[in-house]
Amino acid sequence: MSLSLRQLVALAISTMAIVFSPIVGRAEDVPSFRRDVMPVLFRAGCNSGTCHGSARGKDGFMLSLFGYDAKGDYYRITQDLVGRRVNIAVPEQSLVLLKATGKVPHTGGELFKKDSPYYQAIYRWIEAGAPDDEDKVPEPVEITLTPERMVFTGAKATEQTKVMARYSDGSTRDVTHLARYLSNNSTTAVIDPNGKVTAGQHGDTYVFARFNRFTIGSEVIVLPADSNYQWTKPPAQNYVDKLVYDRLQKLHLLPSELADDETFVRRVFLDLTGVPPTPEQYATFVADKSPNKRDQLVDELLKTDAFADVWTAIWAESLRVKGGGYAPSATDIKAAETYFEWIREQMQQNRPLNEFVADQVVASGSNLTNGPANLYTMLVHDVRFIPKNFAADFSQLFTGVQIQCAECHNHPFDRWTMDDYYGFVSIFNGIQRKQGAEPREFYIYNNAAAAPAKNIVNDRPVPATVLGGETPIAPNTDPRVALAKWLTAPDNELFSRNLANRIWAHYMGRGLVEPLDDMRISNPPTNKPLLDALAQHLVDSKFNLRALVRDICTSRAYQLSSKPNATNALDDRQFSRSRLRRLRADVMLDTIVQVTGGERGFGNFPQGTKAIQFYPRTSGDTGGPHPGDPFFETFGRSSRATICACETKTEPTLSQTLHLIAGDTLQGRIGGGGVVPKLIESNATPEAIIETLYIRALSRKPSADELAGMLKLVGTSTKDRRVYEDLFWSLMNSTEFMFNH
Amino acid sequence: MPQSLLRASGCFDFRSLLNRRQAVQVGVCGALGLTLGDLFRQRALADTKGKPEPKALSVIQLNLPGGMAQQESWDPKPEAPVEYRGAFNIAKTNTGEIFSENFSRLSKIADKLTIVRSVVGKIPDHGQATYHLFTGYTPTTVIDYPQMGSVISQAFGPRHDMPPYVAIPSLPGYSGGTGYLGSKFGAFQLHADPGGQGKFQVRDFSVPKDVSSEQFHRRQAARELVENRLRESQAAPDLLNTMDEFYRRAYSLLSSKKSQQAFSLSDEPQSMLDLYGHDYILKARREPAGIGPRLLLARRLVEAGVRFVTVEYGAWDSHVGIKEDCLDRMPALDHAVTGLITDLDQRGLLDTTLVMVTTEFGRTPLVNQSNGRDHWARVYSMLLAGGGITRGQIYGASDATAAEPARDAVPLEDFLYTVYHQLGIDANDELLAFGTRPIEIVKDGKLVKGIVA
Repeated sequence: MSLSLRQLVALAISTMAIVFSPIVGRAEDVPSFRRDVMPVLFRAGCNSGTCHGSARGKDGFMLSLFGYDAKGDYYRITQDLVGRRVNIAVPEQSLVLLKATGKVPHTGGELFKKDSPYYQAIYRWIEAGAPDDEDKVPEPVEITLTPERMVFTGAKATEQTKVMARYSDGSTRDVTHLARYLSNNSTTAVIDPNGKVTAGQHGDTYVFARFNRFTIGSEVIVLPADSNYQWTKPPAQNYVDKLVYDRLQKLHLLPSELADDETFVRRVFLDLTGVPPTPEQYATFVADKSPNKRDQLVDELLKTDAFADVWTAIWAESLRVKGGGYAPSATDIKAAETYFEWIREQMQQNRPLNEFVADQVVASGSNLTNGPANLYTMLVHDVRFIPKNFAADFSQLFTGVQIQCAECHNHPFDRWTMDDYYGFVSIFNGIQRKQGAEPREFYIYNNAAAAPAKNIVNDRPVPATVLGGETPIAPNTDPRVALAKWLTAPDNELFSRNLANRIWAHYMGRGLVEPLDDMRISNPPTNKPLLDALAQHLVDSKFNLRALVRDICTSRAYQLSSKPNATNALDDRQFSRSRLRRLRADVMLDTIVQVTGGERGFGNFPQGTKAIQFYPRTSGDTGGPHPGDPFFETFGRSSRATICACETKTEPTLSQTLHLIAGDTLQGRIGGGGVVPKLIESNATPEAIIETLYIRALSRKPSADELAGMLKLVGTSTKDRRVYEDLFWSLMNSTEFMFNH
Repeated sequence: MPQSLLRASGCFDFRSLLNRRQAVQVGVCGALGLTLGDLFRQRALADTKGKPEPKALSVIQLNLPGGMAQQESWDPKPEAPVEYRGAFNIAKTNTGEIFSENFSRLSKIADKLTIVRSVVGKIPDHGQATYHLFTGYTPTTVIDYPQMGSVISQAFGPRHDMPPYVAIPSLPGYSGGTGYLGSKFGAFQLHADPGGQGKFQVRDFSVPKDVSSEQFHRRQAARELVENRLRESQAAPDLLNTMDEFYRRAYSLLSSKKSQQAFSLSDEPQSMLDLYGHDYILKARREPAGIGPRLLLARRLVEAGVRFVTVEYGAWDSHVGIKEDCLDRMPALDHAVTGLITDLDQRGLLDTTLVMVTTEFGRTPLVNQSNGRDHWARVYSMLLAGGGITRGQIYGASDATAAEPARDAVPLEDFLYTVYHQLGIDANDELLAFGTRPIEIVKDGKLVKGIVA
């Protein structure tokens, strides 16, 4: 018996295929495009966003991003320019193989060698005639990554991970060499293309494996090699501390000391009421000798209207409350006012947050009289309703999930598919409005007969379904009722965790998930048990905002100093010390006004309105960004152009510095507010004047060194108003003033 | 399996999953206000090979918001029926072409200009088209794209300690902002008009008059004293360095004579003001046109080191009475742009300064019943000059009624791509949004070879 050369080659290849059988499928199988070839395109990076998976492809060849559209990819490889990319007659001359092995010029370079199983997988498939296999091969339904958690001591230690895929027919397959890997923080751990993890610097992170449409993470903790770490057993006030401490112990971190009374009183006033304590409030608290005075102060501040104002401001930013005068967009000033006042009322009454959200989701009727119905007009600020925008905004705002990534491709770093997306869009396809009794008035209603949205890849209608829902919402109903029920249900972790994370971030300066509105598998919380516990407490308290805030603000974790110890100088995500947080623009302005005395007006608002109570009222159209006041623009108050949490900016900028040095906000008020002249007139000593200015601006007394330095600057001009105004200016231009610390 | 079966070449692996806005202040980078995200972005830019050779060092963009009619400016149609032609006659240019008679001065320096008569936009809506013009993209709900000025700020950074990107008097509404780039790449907006009524003073840009220099120094000394406490606590050394850097730059801008003068017209001679035209009054609004002084200031800023200046002038949304609008606004425009080009050329700056006159779309071929013209994005005209652009050319053409491109259509993306190209930026390069998502500076832009000298 003689074998042709061709048969010999095939035999040789199939022998190799047996050697690599876990990777390229069983040798006796007909080579499969979906099972054998697609994973190689994924693994080698051919279909990544920077290469041919880019929306317009690369160098004339396009693949679907990470392979969400296998059918289209099959077409583009085999049918588009027939004979170019795959050459069935002479498989090794197929362009896909020549390119990938770098035998012809390729922007992506050489991706694998001719003797690699990746090459063989594609080769065998082409040799078999590049067959299609739609609906013939099982699909992956889940992947696992082991170990789930790795703890290293010292840099350079390594561990090999393993990725298994489970298929729709129940079979499993080791896909370690077909997965792609990434680390969330490569200074702490790197993971190489073969799944081997190498430890870096002290800290924690996640490494991820991706295969098909799945992403899965394993936690990596790297401990210092040469530490004689010992837990110091700091007291725990409540579950928050226990869970923060658990995490710190695992990471060999120690919490900083408890902040002193002066730091605490400033911090808690700014966070809970949006202004620092007045000198009187400061003095009362510092003089108070009772052991639980911090808890008492938190309780007292939770009852204030100012607390409700802060949360009204946060919600009104996220919900894009802006009033204008352009009737067709239905966002008239009167409508905005109705909505804003409704939000404020809910915050004042401590309305359960799930009910607060549900009321808005299901709201219908007049934008001028029914506050919550304005959700639908304020989210869009347009003459048209666009269901896709509703879907994106609802998801991002109320669950923290950016589902809109799945509009054009399956979410590359999460579990969401295009069907999840279009099913969610369909919920909003029936939301409509009609003109009311006067030009400013519109009625919001649902048209239950509206057609569902279509998946853009295959043009198939996808009936209204909640995110991750197994069955569609019953047709011919108002799907918003089912949406609200699912969204705000106690067991919907997407909802409770999103709220808990946002509330935590406001008080701790950073979410357990950051960015707040980008919750995805590949962006896990820095302390999952803590986020789960906060969400559970929120649910257990029947979504009581104040109860959760109390848990946070009475915890020791909230009350830590920002000063680092020997272990935690580099920690910026485990809450082992207080973070410096620049004051929000509105809080900063109210603080300046309170510290310098007098009032500051806002056009179109009553005298005495505070910055935190301000929302933009403009003339005309409300569609664009409207910070509403030059100060807000400079200091990054949300312009409400989108619902993104990133609209509220607290990054320092040069313009802010210029404004504080040379702008009218401080300069006019330092002289005009009358604080300094009154102090001079009171015949107080220079020491007393300096101390009062410190307490007003920074809620603390000056240190001996500071006092001496300031007195030196005063010199003999002990009655000179301008000298004290300069000191006052310097206090308000300090980092300590601009930041909650 | 061999370790290096897969080569991490070019396309993957170095881009880890950095969070958007994740301002990881790392080591020395923190001191410069750089975040890890910036480093990654810079790496992404540095990685690309074959960058074009820079011809222009700076850009002056004059934007005419509202949509200036092509027929009444760069692309008159004298042979079209009167309902298309409009109310104006033509001016012969010194290159033998024609402009509208509204541009009698510009027609005499046409040998220095390139007019693109075949720009093609996408959406005849002010907001969306303005965003498209400034960022290269139409607005989406997913990604906010950065303005060209911000991309340039990010790519090149400050020159001579001047802010890289300045808006005179302010950024137009709906033009976007820094998008997915950090806020420090945003335009420095004057919030003041050098051509307005009253004394010109940039907002927040001079030490208040009632603060003596003794006080100014005492304030700085006192501030140092207050900063010490946080500095000693070691709570946030990088942040304190960043803040110090901002204060250092601010003190320098406020006290340096050079930078103060760059933002002032006080030492420009009368002849220079006359060259740009400074005494036009807009009748409709009963206020100074202002464009001459604005462009003069733009030239001063470019001389001082600013890389991208955007100037706004007029309101061009002439749905009603376009003739009256043109008579009101165009003489000052004609005078000021002629002045700017002439001035730059005389100073030898025109070769390194790219001037562009932009508008978000053109206007309908047919004059409407209110004697106005409505929005039209299918073809319109824009001006380019200097910065390595050809001189004395009309590029592309619209059809007989200025309704569609007749030849050499230039999609807005190609127009912007070409401007980037002259600055030495390949706008097909990708920047990283959210740390991970590569996005082309301009999507599908191509070089308009015919307008590059």
